[in-house]
Amino acid sequence: MEGDQETEVYTLVARKPSFDLPTACPNCLPAYIYLKLAQLPFELAFNSTFPDSDELPYFENGTYVAYNNEDGGVIEKLKKDGIVNLDAQLQSLPEYLSLKALIASWLEEALTYEIWVGTEGISTSKIYYSDLPWVISKVLFYKQTCMAKNRLGITKENAEQRETQIYKRAGEAYEALSTRLGEQKFLFEDRPSSLDAFLLSHMLFIIQVLPETSVLRCKLLEHSNLVRYAEKLKAEFLEASSSSPSPPLQSFPSSFTRKGSKPKSKPKVEKTEEEKKFKKRARFFLAAQFLAVVIYLSVMGGGSSDEVEYEDEDD
Amino acid sequence: MANPAETPDPNPSTPKLESEEIEEINGDEEEEEEEYEEEEDDGKPQTREDAIASRIQAASLFRRMRAAPVPVRVHDVIVKGNEKTKDHVIEAEVDVLREATTLQELLKASKVANFNLQALDIFDSVKITIDSGPPELPGTTNVVIHVVESKSPITGQIGTFTKAEARSSSLEGSLKYKNIFGYGDIWDGSLAYGCDHSAEVGLGMYLPRFRGRPTPFTSRVYLSTQEWLKFSSYKERALGLSFGLIASKYHELVYTTAWRNLIDPSQMASTSIRRQLGHNLVSALKYTFKFDKRNSPLRPTRGYSFISTSQIGGLAPDSRTLRFLRQEVDLRYAVPLGFYRAALNFGVSGGITFPWGSGYKSRASYVPERFFLGGNISPVCSLGGPSALWGFKTRGLGPNEPRREVQDEENGGTYERDFVGGDVAVTAFADLSFDFPVKWFRDRGIHGHVFACAGNMAELSENKYRKFSGPKFLETFRSSVGAGIVVPTSLFRMELNYCHILKKQEHDRAKSGLFMTFSTS
Repeated sequence: MEGDQETEVYTLVARKPSFDLPTACPNCLPAYIYLKLAQLPFELAFNSTFPDSDELPYFENGTYVAYNNEDGGVIEKLKKDGIVNLDAQLQSLPEYLSLKALIASWLEEALTYEIWVGTEGISTSKIYYSDLPWVISKVLFYKQTCMAKNRLGITKENAEQRETQIYKRAGEAYEALSTRLGEQKFLFEDRPSSLDAFLLSHMLFIIQVLPETSVLRCKLLEHSNLVRYAEKLKAEFLEASSSSPSPPLQSFPSSFTRKGSKPKSKPKVEKTEEEKKFKKRARFFLAAQFLAVVIYLSVMGGGSSDEVEYEDEDD
Repeated sequence: MANPAETPDPNPSTPKLESEEIEEINGDEEEEEEEYEEEEDDGKPQTREDAIASRIQAASLFRRMRAAPVPVRVHDVIVKGNEKTKDHVIEAEVDVLREATTLQELLKASKVANFNLQALDIFDSVKITIDSGPPELPGTTNVVIHVVESKSPITGQIGTFTKAEARSSSLEGSLKYKNIFGYGDIWDGSLAYGCDHSAEVGLGMYLPRFRGRPTPFTSRVYLSTQEWLKFSSYKERALGLSFGLIASKYHELVYTTAWRNLIDPSQMASTSIRRQLGHNLVSALKYTFKFDKRNSPLRPTRGYSFISTSQIGGLAPDSRTLRFLRQEVDLRYAVPLGFYRAALNFGVSGGITFPWGSGYKSRASYVPERFFLGGNISPVCSLGGPSALWGFKTRGLGPNEPRREVQDEENGGTYERDFVGGDVAVTAFADLSFDFPVKWFRDRGIHGHVFACAGNMAELSENKYRKFSGPKFLETFRSSVGAGIVVPTSLFRMELNYCHILKKQEHDRAKSGLFMTFSTS
């Protein structure tokens, strides 16, 4: 703007909040949690019209911008540019690299699969398309579903095989993380790291966003220490600084079993007030349009020529 | 010169007219003389006496027409030659014939009807013959319309136009397929490239008459891109559908629905532009009132014009469509000075845009709907709203923001600025045009001009209207003066000007020097 000075406020631009999360986007939540773990004061802004962008989330401070599709992601870029680095002394540890590979590949794949294929995208409308008109949201949903399947290498021939592989790997990853974590507060000693941000984001998303019938959710809830870890960190770093604390994570009995029917049924989504209002407005709009067309045609329609009247004319 | 008809006309008051008057009416003068012989009712060759009698009769008729109105009534309008075109399509364009009550009015109406039919662009030739009516009905006449439908329904053309979707002058190539269904329908596919770095591909349909509507109906599907990376760090893509609901001499009403997407492949955008990247659905109605009494759109030397464009977006039950209001006005006046075809042109234009709906005061207006000033267009020719200022580059003035900082190893960090547009804009200009005393220039329409212009923009949305003040707006007005040569070509009007910037603000992209503009009508 003309004459305005640059501000020094840190801002994280992410997708809109939902499901009692500050941002419901699984790509944006790790960056949010990372900044909270680092206790860096920042403002949260939202972009709700670009669901298929890989630039989000981005971190900005005046003319400095760190996009998520550069240098390995926002968190890596913040580390590289010296803004905030929680992994300063951890990056050389072999455990760090192996856990990072586990979280960034197997867990990330499992989450992508569960959002777009496993639960058939039931949560995506609130995460990505709440502020977009129906036509655009439908087209983008199909586009993003295809992109997710391509990224996961899922075809019609190998769909079942890939699903089994993805869930198996996720289960093994949870097992490994649960063993690694034990009853520690963080993954590495008593200091938070970027891996805590990724893991906490992954778990909060699965528990609060995915439906109860989600296979991945069931697998995660088998590990109670992981659930406790998520609850503690959420209470300490997310709810403590927010004005309206979100309700605690749902607690599940330790004797949860996987036996029983495969969770394939979809929960029925209740119509929200907004959807009912929209349908009512749509009916009024269509009725008004129809009435306008009928009135217009009756008043303006039929340009038939008049017959020539014969009159006696003098020469 | 009257041409005699072979058979004596039983109704001497309305002889068969195939005179020079008809030659003026019909578009095909060569065939008119040949057709004269074919127009004979009974096909018998004319005798010398009959020819003389017809000449005398026609001369008598024209004397009567010069003396006083000759009353006549149109008995029937007969259409011939239309194998594919529906009768009602042709008859709808020649309704004016039936309203004529005198021969003089009928001749004028025939000219209008011929023009209307030629304007349908689906006939190779149109001939209107005024023949005598039935013998039992004296004082009547029949009008025979003979059309020759286009033999090759596909035509191609290249030209420069101004399209609403691209919002600037563009070079366009199009293929047209005419009259497929016989309703005068014209289907076209077009490819346009604009001066404002825009490209558009579209399919359109034109119907001269649609269910008895008095004005043509047009519809168009288009896919367009406009690249503003260099000026505002964004690229706009749109997939849209527009309907021309009303298109008359003074009024135009267009409804457009479009999916617009703003992206920034460079990832260098400033804060305001970054916030607006993404998808939007536009559902907007645009009404234009245009009153142009200037003698020329490219070199007006007399007359005045006024244009007002009102646009409302968000016409859909879904509140998530783009909601905005936009109003532009443009007033021009040309005063002839009486020497060397000199004329003084004045123009003032203004526009305002604002979002509407809940929280409209704090919401940002949509960047593509804002106003941007500057560019390679002459203010004299850009009728439609505030857009052009001599001497200022494309999107070269107004509210601007720093772009993303890029670490330059040598310089330690460099960045440029994005021009984000204004919610309110005002421009004014004065232009004195004159012919050169050299005949060679005058014959080619090359003339000179001296000009002065001023303009300014401001932001109002996102609560910035609280900071807006009239005195400050006037104080920050940009202005320039200059002189140059205007070269009109068949495709566009080119100006080569020297501009001197009188006043500009910090970061404006303008400098004194030579400047070229290209404008189309």
